[in-house]
Amino acid sequence: MNAATTSLRLPRASEQPSFDAVVAEHLDSVYRYLVYLTGDRSAAEDLAAETFEKAFRSWRRFDPRRSAPRTWLCGIARNAAVDWLRAEARRRRREEIYARDFDEEQQFGDGLPGPVESALRQLSAGEREVIALRILLELDGPSAARVLGISNTACSTRLSRALKRLEELTPDVDR
Amino acid sequence: MSTVDLLRAHAPSAPESLHSRVLALRPEPKRTRVRVRPAFVLAGAATLAVAAAVVHGFATSAPKTAAPPRHTPSRAFGSAGSAVQAQTKLAPAIGAVPAPSPGRLQSTSASLSVRVDDLGAKTTEATKIATRLGGYAQSVHYTAGGSATIDVRVPAGRVKQAIAQLGALGTIVAQQISIQDLTSQLERQSAQIAQLRRRVAALKQALASPSLPDAQRVLLQIKLSEAKRALAERLHGRAATVSAGATARISLTLETRRAAAAAPHHRGRLGRMLHDAVGFLAVEGLVVLFALIVASPFAIAFGLVWWYRRRATDRLLME
Repeated sequence: MNAATTSLRLPRASEQPSFDAVVAEHLDSVYRYLVYLTGDRSAAEDLAAETFEKAFRSWRRFDPRRSAPRTWLCGIARNAAVDWLRAEARRRRREEIYARDFDEEQQFGDGLPGPVESALRQLSAGEREVIALRILLELDGPSAARVLGISNTACSTRLSRALKRLEELTPDVDR
Repeated sequence: MSTVDLLRAHAPSAPESLHSRVLALRPEPKRTRVRVRPAFVLAGAATLAVAAAVVHGFATSAPKTAAPPRHTPSRAFGSAGSAVQAQTKLAPAIGAVPAPSPGRLQSTSASLSVRVDDLGAKTTEATKIATRLGGYAQSVHYTAGGSATIDVRVPAGRVKQAIAQLGALGTIVAQQISIQDLTSQLERQSAQIAQLRRRVAALKQALASPSLPDAQRVLLQIKLSEAKRALAERLHGRAATVSAGATARISLTLETRRAAAAAPHHRGRLGRMLHDAVGFLAVEGLVVLFALIVASPFAIAFGLVWWYRRRATDRLLME
């Protein structure tokens, strides 16, 4: 049983994970999710810190019986990322830059082939988000749907479309 | 290797600086938190409402301690227009019936409930009593259950005698006497009549003048006819007041023992308790309904704002 699968199991009432353990186990996952959602590593870094800061403040209110720590953290991260994306959209409108300019350096993975990196850039934030949750973080359908605030079916449909689009955008990748 | 495997294999990792930045945070010690389920809250509220209704029903269904009968009604005729009511549940002392105050016009109405053995004979006798005292029986109603209601009118000065004689027809079950002072009303009507008479006389005198212009004459004639009409109304009203004061009204109910036994059976304590509890629950339901009606526009506005924000977020992520 790998680490991701372990984290999906809902702890019993007596099992109260420590904050340090939650950070050690889920920081990478939250960071990956935010990288995919924002497409910006520096922003993802800041948002991950903000996410854990918020989680730190509301740690006393976290109830492990209601949701897994990863789902809870992804929910906080999503709210922070959506606020950031809104601010970014306003900034872009203000500066009249309509096309999203990503840095040329690799954003979505370390050593990821260029065409895949490029294809991920062409996906929408929502499409990358569902890929991050279901593929990278290996959240199960209901947990991912809960983070996204949509139904399980809608989540599956969104993932299927996102993967299909990604495949279409990367026909020549040497697999 | 599939694209999915590529993504997994090359997933970004959080830099060490972020690890140390986040690990520097130290949360407060976690306290045990009691989780309250909405279903439990609703169930608790419903239980509380039902319990309150049962307690209310239990408290209000308790048998009331009967106050001792007051055979001597209070008299308070000092102020104009005052009314006095005296009610006795047991056979009263006849001396308790208030006598009319001399020099004042008073309207007396009484209701008597008397249990008798022979309904027909006693009804006839009640009519005869009214006639003998200078009054009359205005109406007689018989019911299938074996009771009769007789509306009797007697001169105000003889109401005490009438009540005594009618009460003597059998056993008095209930008695209520109401006296209303009409003196001030009569004085007010008399003053208005005198004023209207003076006005009519003045208008007639003005109209008798031969030098009065035609237009003004017509105007005065209209005013005169209005004054005459108002005078007639006041005179009629005063006659009615005098008539009300001159005649006492007695509503006499004669019932046999059989009719009394067949009277509707009152609910037992449990029945009363349930009845009151259901009524209380209905009131609680109305309060909740009212609260929902008041809160619903806010809930709808909140829902619309939530829906709009969600749509905006979806658009933002999917563009």
